[in-house]
Amino acid sequence: MMEYNDQLKLQAYLDGELPEGEAARWAERLARDQEAAALLTELRQTRECLGGFEEGVKLPETREFYWSKIQREIERLETPRPAATATLTVWARLRRLLVPAAGLAVVAVAALVAAYRSGPTMVATETAVADSGAMIYHDYAAGATFVWLSYPADDDVADIDEEATLD
Amino acid sequence: MSVLQFPRVLIWLVASLFLVAGSATCTQAAEEMKIRAVLVWATDDANPPAGKNYQPVAAEIRKRLRALKWKNYFEVKHIDFTASSLSHKSVPVSDKCSLDVRALGNSQVEVTLIGKGKVVGTVKGALPKNEILVPGGDAPNDTAWLVILKRLD
Repeated sequence: MMEYNDQLKLQAYLDGELPEGEAARWAERLARDQEAAALLTELRQTRECLGGFEEGVKLPETREFYWSKIQREIERLETPRPAATATLTVWARLRRLLVPAAGLAVVAVAALVAAYRSGPTMVATETAVADSGAMIYHDYAAGATFVWLSYPADDDVADIDEEATLD
Repeated sequence: MSVLQFPRVLIWLVASLFLVAGSATCTQAAEEMKIRAVLVWATDDANPPAGKNYQPVAAEIRKRLRALKWKNYFEVKHIDFTASSLSHKSVPVSDKCSLDVRALGNSQVEVTLIGKGKVVGTVKGALPKNEILVPGGDAPNDTAWLVILKRLD
């Protein structure tokens, strides 16, 4: 039984792939080694049988044109389709705009609803006066807020007689 | 729901929300307050000045003025008006003085006192129902003037 490596060498010999010196040595061996010669015959017959089934591919056009078509198809697949890109971009822009807008609208509505609900009970009692000399006094029990202004100071409105300051 | 239908739904949702928010805002912006302004002369005198037929203020008002020191309060005049948040209401309280009143919403009111065409002071505060806001000041002879603002609605 031939070793596996020898079988491969014999295949290489048949295919003409061995260096010249090694091929010569195999030729000598085949003359005296019947097993090797039988295997060579078997391999040669197998190659001839398989070779009969190999039909050359005949292109309908020139080789260059055939490959250029393949190249164009590859490029077409790799290039993003313009229509699809435009749709995605519009949608993405729309979403970028609408999502925060919707959020703001919800917050605004919620704030307004909260303001309405809490309206009557949230009345502020603070009083601001644009008069540095003014004084503010809250009489909570009486439900009265007094804002004592520095006006009129002897007097402006009042060319006053006693009758009424503002009258 | 397709991808193309979704933005349309979202647009309608946002539009509806803005519509609701907008109408609510407009409703709030148009708040009005019916107010009575009562010009009062505060004095320790028992009677109004000679020749003036001023009447003592109503007992309900008198009680609310308990924090003040004067013994008597005479109503010089009163004016009913409607303050709006959309515009300033000018309320003449005398020949020389007037109030510029604006509702601020949520029972808040801004009152600017104008004397001889000049701004004397601005009062900004709450004027809830059943309460009064009283800008006032000293007057000669240890008297005082008051403008009692009271909600009518």
